[in-house]
Amino acid sequence: MTVNERTRSPIPDSLVPTSGEFVFATAQYESGDWDSAPLVPANLIDSVAKYTSLPVAPTGAIVALASDDLFRFPLVFLTGHLPVRFTDAEGANVRRFADRGGMLFVDDHNHDIDGAFHKTAVEELTRAVGPLSQLPNTHPIYSTFFKFSDGPPNTSHELNGWGDNLVHSHLLAAMRGNRIAVLYSNKDYSSEWGYHPDNKRFLAIDNTKFGVNVIVYALTR
Amino acid sequence: MRPLERVMRTRRALAATIATRAVLGAVATVLLTAAFLTTTLRAFGVATSSVWLVADVAGAVALAILARPWARLTVPRVALWIEERVPALQYALVTAVDPVGTASAAFLEREIDQVSWDREAARAMMRGLRWPALAAVGGLGALLLSVRVRTGSAAEHDRAIPSVIATPARDVSAPFARLAATVRSPAYAGGQVVRVESPASIGALVGSTVILEAPGSGEGVTVDAEDQPIPVQRAGAAWRTAVTVGARPTVIRLRQGSVERLVALEPRPDSVPIVRLLFPTRDTVVRAARGVLRLSAEAHDDIGLATAAFEYIVSSGEGESFKFKSGTLGARRIDAGRDATIGASLGLDQLALKPGDIVHLRAVARDGNNVSGPGAGASETRVLRVARAGEYDSIAVEAAPPSEGDKSAISQRMLIMLTEALEKRRPTLARETLLSESRQIARDETRLRKRVGDIIFQRLGNNPTGEEGRNPDDAPASDSTVPASDSARAALLRAASAATGNRDEILDFEGDETPVVAINRPLLEAYNAMWEAGRELEQGETGRALPPMRRALAAIQRARQAERIYLRGKPPAVVVDLARVRLTGKDHGAANTRLPRRPMDPAAARRAERLAAAIELASRNPAAAIDSIVLLRVESLDAAPQLGAALSDALAAMRSGRDATASLARARRIADGGVRDVGGVGAWSGVW
Repeated sequence: MTVNERTRSPIPDSLVPTSGEFVFATAQYESGDWDSAPLVPANLIDSVAKYTSLPVAPTGAIVALASDDLFRFPLVFLTGHLPVRFTDAEGANVRRFADRGGMLFVDDHNHDIDGAFHKTAVEELTRAVGPLSQLPNTHPIYSTFFKFSDGPPNTSHELNGWGDNLVHSHLLAAMRGNRIAVLYSNKDYSSEWGYHPDNKRFLAIDNTKFGVNVIVYALTR
Repeated sequence: MRPLERVMRTRRALAATIATRAVLGAVATVLLTAAFLTTTLRAFGVATSSVWLVADVAGAVALAILARPWARLTVPRVALWIEERVPALQYALVTAVDPVGTASAAFLEREIDQVSWDREAARAMMRGLRWPALAAVGGLGALLLSVRVRTGSAAEHDRAIPSVIATPARDVSAPFARLAATVRSPAYAGGQVVRVESPASIGALVGSTVILEAPGSGEGVTVDAEDQPIPVQRAGAAWRTAVTVGARPTVIRLRQGSVERLVALEPRPDSVPIVRLLFPTRDTVVRAARGVLRLSAEAHDDIGLATAAFEYIVSSGEGESFKFKSGTLGARRIDAGRDATIGASLGLDQLALKPGDIVHLRAVARDGNNVSGPGAGASETRVLRVARAGEYDSIAVEAAPPSEGDKSAISQRMLIMLTEALEKRRPTLARETLLSESRQIARDETRLRKRVGDIIFQRLGNNPTGEEGRNPDDAPASDSTVPASDSARAALLRAASAATGNRDEILDFEGDETPVVAINRPLLEAYNAMWEAGRELEQGETGRALPPMRRALAAIQRARQAERIYLRGKPPAVVVDLARVRLTGKDHGAANTRLPRRPMDPAAARRAERLAAAIELASRNPAAAIDSIVLLRVESLDAAPQLGAALSDALAAMRSGRDATASLARARRIADGGVRDVGGVGAWSGVW
C-alpha cells in the first residue's frame, strides 16, 4: 500500500455490520506490521460464539484506520511489532472514533515496554486521544462476563520472562467519561491468542476468555 | 492647424485626464474605505467579510462624482480653460472658436498661431492627476497597514502576552475598589508585563506571576485560592499578594470583613510546536541502501522554539524477533525563534542496513517552555525500507526494446467483421475482386495465427519464431520437402509432447493432461480453426470461412479468461464454524446485568442547576449573580469548555450593563444539553 494514500475500504459487503451482528475488526494502519496476528480475530470470534449468544460474524474484517469505515465497528483491534506512526488522517480518525463511542484495543505484540511499538504507539495514542493511565484491576471490564479478580490475565510470554521480563499488573486506558475509549496492553495477547481456534481444545484453560470480556464490554458500554 | 482643431486636441487630452483622475480617485476611495473598515471592524471584533462590498460601492460613487466634469467639456469651456492658463491669448481663442463667427477670423488665427499652450495645459493636467494618484498610493499603504494591524492585533492576543478583563470601579466594593494586577509572563515567553486596574479575570500562560495590590494597610485582608490561604504583605502604603498561574483555572478570593472580591485566573496552554517534514517527501523502498539521504524540516511554535532535530529508528528482523536502534541527527538549538528550518544528512552506509530493515524518520521540535513543558511536536514519519531479496517488490526498470516493424495484427473479431462484410457484397463482386479481397483477409488471418502460434511456442519453451520461421508474406522455401502446414503442426505437437511427456496421448487431452496443455488447449483449438479459415479465405469461400473464424474467436476468449493469473494469493482466512462452535459450547459464563445509561452526567446536572440559580439571582442581586457565574465559568473551563465560553459572553454583557438574556439562554441550552435517558438499552445495532 502506498503510504499517505487514502486507503480504500478492504471490507467486503458481507462483513459490513448492518444486521446487528458483531464483526471483529482489525485496524490497518500505514506504518508498521498491522497484520502480525492474523489468527487472533478467528480465535476471539470462536470464543464469543462459544461462550455468548451474541450474534457474531464468522470472519473478521480489516478496516483502514484512516477510512470512514472505522466508525462502523464498535471495537477495533490494533497490534504490531514495528513503530507506529499515525498519519494525520489516522490520528484524527482515532480521536473521532474514541469521541463517538468506539473502543480501540491496542496490544503490543513485542511484549516489551522499552520496545519501539510501545514507545511510539503510546506517543501516538496520547497525541490522538489523550494520556493513557493505569486501569484499576477492579474495573468492570474484568467482570463484565468472566470474572478476573486479579485484573488482566497473565500471558505465557510474561511468565516465561520473554520481552521485557516483566509481568504487567495493569492495562492502560484512555477514558471518555467513565467508558474506556482506548485499552492498551503490554501483555502480548496477540501472541497468546495467535493460534488456530481448533487448537483451543488442547488447552486446560481457555486463555481467550479475557478477549470475550473486552468484546462484551465494548458492546455494552 | 486651425484654432478649433487645436482646442479639440486639448479637449481630448482633458477628457483622458478626467477619466484617469476618476479611476484613480475611485481606486483610492476603495482602498481607503477598505482599510478604514478593516481596521475599525477588527477593533470591535466584527467579521470583515462585507468590507470589499462596501468599499466597491464607495468607489463607484466616487467614480460617478469624479467623472461628472466630462459632461461639461464643451469647446467654449475648453477654450476658456486654456485662456485662464495662457493670458497672452487675450481672449482671441474664445472669440475664434465662437460658433457665431467673426469678421476678423484670419487676424485672430494669426494671433493665436503665435501662442503655444501645450506646456501649460500639460502641467495643469498633471496637477489634476497628482492628488488622486497620491490618494491611491496612500490608500494602498493604508490597506497594507490595516493588514499589518491585523497581525498586530493577533499579536496582542498572543499567548505570551497576558490578557486581563477589568471590572468597572463603580461595581466594586470599597476595600478593593483600587485593586490592581501586575501580570508577568514566564521568562521563557519573554516576561512581558501587563498592569491593569480592577481586574476581574486574568488569562495568562501557566507559570505567569500575578501580583494583586491595593493601597491601604491590608489590615484584615485575607486571600485564598481553592481554600489555600495566600500570604498578604505590606509594601509601603499598600498591600500586595502574589500568585502563580497554575495548570487549572482558579478563583482568587479576596476578603475583608464581609466584603469579598473574586479574581479568576485562566491558564492559557502553551501549544506544542508544529513540525513538517519537507524531505524526504514520501516513503521509499530501496533495493540497496547506499548513499546519503538529505533531510529537511520546518517547525513553528506559538511562543518560541528551543531545539529541533531529526529522529530515526532502525528496525531489523522479522516475525517475533525484532531489534531496534535509534538516534538523532541535525540537532539544533533555536533561540526562541518562532519558526525554524533544520536540515541534516543521513548516511545510509553508516547504518549498515540489511534487506528487510526499515528506517523510520521524523523531525521533532521542542519549545522553550520550562514551566509546564517542554512541549514536543513531531512531524509525520517517513519510512525507508530495504527490500528483501525474495519479495515481489521490484524497483528494477528494464529498458524495453524498440518496437519491431510490421507487428500490427488485426484482431480476430475485426477479421470476422471484414469477412461478413465481404460475404454480404459477394453477389455484386467480380470473381477476381472477391478473390483479391478474400486473400487479403487470409493474409491477415495468417499473420494473427502466427502470433497465436508464437504464444504457444513460448509457453512450451520453444523458440517463438519456430512455428514457420518466416513471414507469411514471404515466398515458400523451395528446398522444403515437408509442407509448411504439416511442419508447423508437427512442431506444435512435438513441443506439446515434450512438455507433457506423454507422446502417445498428446492429442487426447481429456485424461490427465498437464497444466501447460490445459492452458494451451483453447489456443491450439483457435490455431487450428484459424488455419481452416485461412484455407477457405485463400479460395474466396468467405461463407465457409466464417464458422471456423467464430470458433477461433470463442477459443481465444476462453484462453484469455484462463489467463487471469493472480500473482499475489489471498492470505488464508479462518472461517469459524459458528454452528459447530455453539453446539459444542459448555461454559456459559456469567453475564453481568446491563445498567441503563444515567440520564445526565451528575456534574453537568449540577452545573445546570447552579446556572439556573445564578440566573434566578440576577434580577435580585446582579453582583452576586456575576460572582456565581464567574465561579461556574472557572469550573467549566476544563470540564465543559463550550459552557465556559458561553458564560464568558454572558459575563461580558452583564459587566458592561448590556442585555445578557441571549447569552444566558445560550449558556442554559449548553448546560442542559447532554445524553438523555432513552428509556432503556437497545441491542447493538451496528449503525451509529
